[in-house]
Amino acid sequence: MSDTGIDSADAEASGLAIETHGLTKRFGERTALDGIDLSVARGSAFGFLGPNGAGKTTIIRTLLGLTGANAGTMRILGYPVPAQRARALERVGAIVEEPRFHMHLTGRENLRTIAAVRGVEVDARIEPALARVGLSDRADQKVKSYSMGMRQRLGVARCLLADPLLLILDEPTNGLDPGGIQEFREMIRSMVEQEGRTVFISSHLLDEVEKTCDAAAIVDRGKIIMQGAISDLADGGAAKHEVIVGVDDPERALAILGASSLVAQARRSDEGLRVVLSGEPRTAAQVNAELVTAGLGVSRLEPVRQSLEQRFLEVTARLDADLVPEEVKA
Amino acid sequence: MSAAIAIRMVGADLLKIRKKYGTLIWSLVLAVLPVVIFFVVNAVEHSSSPGSHEPAGGTEHFITGLRLLGGLFFGPLVAILIGVEAGTSDLGAGVFRDMVVTGRSRLALFASRVPAALLLCWSVILASYALVLVGTYALAGGLATPSASLVLNGLGYLLLSTGVLCAVAVGFSSLVGSKPAAIIALIAWQLVAGALIASISSLGSARDGILYQAISHFSPVNLNGGGHHDHGGPTILTMSGATAFLVLLAWLVVFLGLGSWRTRTMDA
Repeated sequence: MSDTGIDSADAEASGLAIETHGLTKRFGERTALDGIDLSVARGSAFGFLGPNGAGKTTIIRTLLGLTGANAGTMRILGYPVPAQRARALERVGAIVEEPRFHMHLTGRENLRTIAAVRGVEVDARIEPALARVGLSDRADQKVKSYSMGMRQRLGVARCLLADPLLLILDEPTNGLDPGGIQEFREMIRSMVEQEGRTVFISSHLLDEVEKTCDAAAIVDRGKIIMQGAISDLADGGAAKHEVIVGVDDPERALAILGASSLVAQARRSDEGLRVVLSGEPRTAAQVNAELVTAGLGVSRLEPVRQSLEQRFLEVTARLDADLVPEEVKA
Repeated sequence: MSAAIAIRMVGADLLKIRKKYGTLIWSLVLAVLPVVIFFVVNAVEHSSSPGSHEPAGGTEHFITGLRLLGGLFFGPLVAILIGVEAGTSDLGAGVFRDMVVTGRSRLALFASRVPAALLLCWSVILASYALVLVGTYALAGGLATPSASLVLNGLGYLLLSTGVLCAVAVGFSSLVGSKPAAIIALIAWQLVAGALIASISSLGSARDGILYQAISHFSPVNLNGGGHHDHGGPTILTMSGATAFLVLLAWLVVFLGLGSWRTRTMDA
């Protein structure tokens, strides 16, 4: 046991890479983080979604000790911070806002300056890190000659010097072209799936998070609105099951569905009939049976998957509505 | 933190500042050019009119060379430029937060700047002092040359005077966080305010607190250019060795303390 109460075995036994309870950060009168409770499982890609100014960068800066918290507790890789900040950050790589470098130094020299701070054994990771991000050929050029995409990749290489169990990336695809974004996404997935690392990504790009992450939290105005697996978030926690039904006689089908106890609502749409089920998703099979029994030809029966973007807009719009003063609502 | 990591951190900070070629070139220009010009002009004068001009080397010209480097201007300017560069390098480039994210203590990040700055500053000053010695001995002709003791004392004084000012510059610039503001403030203090305050005799012994006055106490030659107050040079006060030592110590403790405090507490 260490003198601050947590030893390596205890920390590693924790299944969470990041854990916060009631985390609060205020800048004067403004509350940037308002009692944040966040749980990020190890070995996953976790998206931290929110509009600009929602508090995404603030939580990253607070977790990393770049600024202090006003209240609440935090653990990184099982270690309490700030009490065991040095231990916690030994195996953490982070890019906060845009990656910044000494422009007058080469890419390799920039990595050397960080390796010197991290530890003697870290020098051996410089070449593999450069190779991992595809910068070996340009490593001896000054960073001021690098494109934005190359700087992002050098930022990731700098993170890899820690041989990180946890990577914290703040808006990592900013400034990348579509090819770079695709490459970046593949790199993140490979880090999670093949190397078992945890990646925490803050972003306002919902599509990006949906394609890259396993789980996410939606934050707005310093509060977490929802968090969970991407599919759960998109489906709204399985509160509503909807299917698209393609039939040869939509009018008759609507009449049959309207009378069915299995259906809460049915309406026409461009794609076919949109049917909201009153029960579990498997009741879709019973609805199909009812239509077929009535002599209708069913050509399509497809669950509606709500995108994360739709869900995000829905919850943030609800929050906006809640904040409208009563007299305006009236 | 192990000694190996401390040494590597100093090496990394040295890399950052020695590759700032603008600062390095200006430092070399300020330290070397006046010495070169001084000896070349004296050598040309002597060769064109040996009867009216002494050889360019010898003890007297060594003392003048030492004044050029260790006086109020050139050596201190080098120390300020390099110290400020070291103090603001990470902040200016925006990478301080990336250093903090490594988990290394902020105090260690601050502390490594000081020896890195001293190493570069002293390298430049030593190069310039070597030129002074070359001129002193190579161009001495029949003149007496300085004793080994004077040469060593001169070296010690230069290292002390530029080292203290360089360390103060690291601390002050880490506190201020802005390279231009720190350079302007330190030069204004060193060249204008300090000299001005020292000339106000009604301030009495309070003037002993001026850094340049305390440093001058350790000079093996009179930096005023002759007797005190009588050659138009800067006012040099007389103080005891203990007072001078305490004043230097106070400047170091205050500015290194403030610089480390700011580095430890600032939002990165």
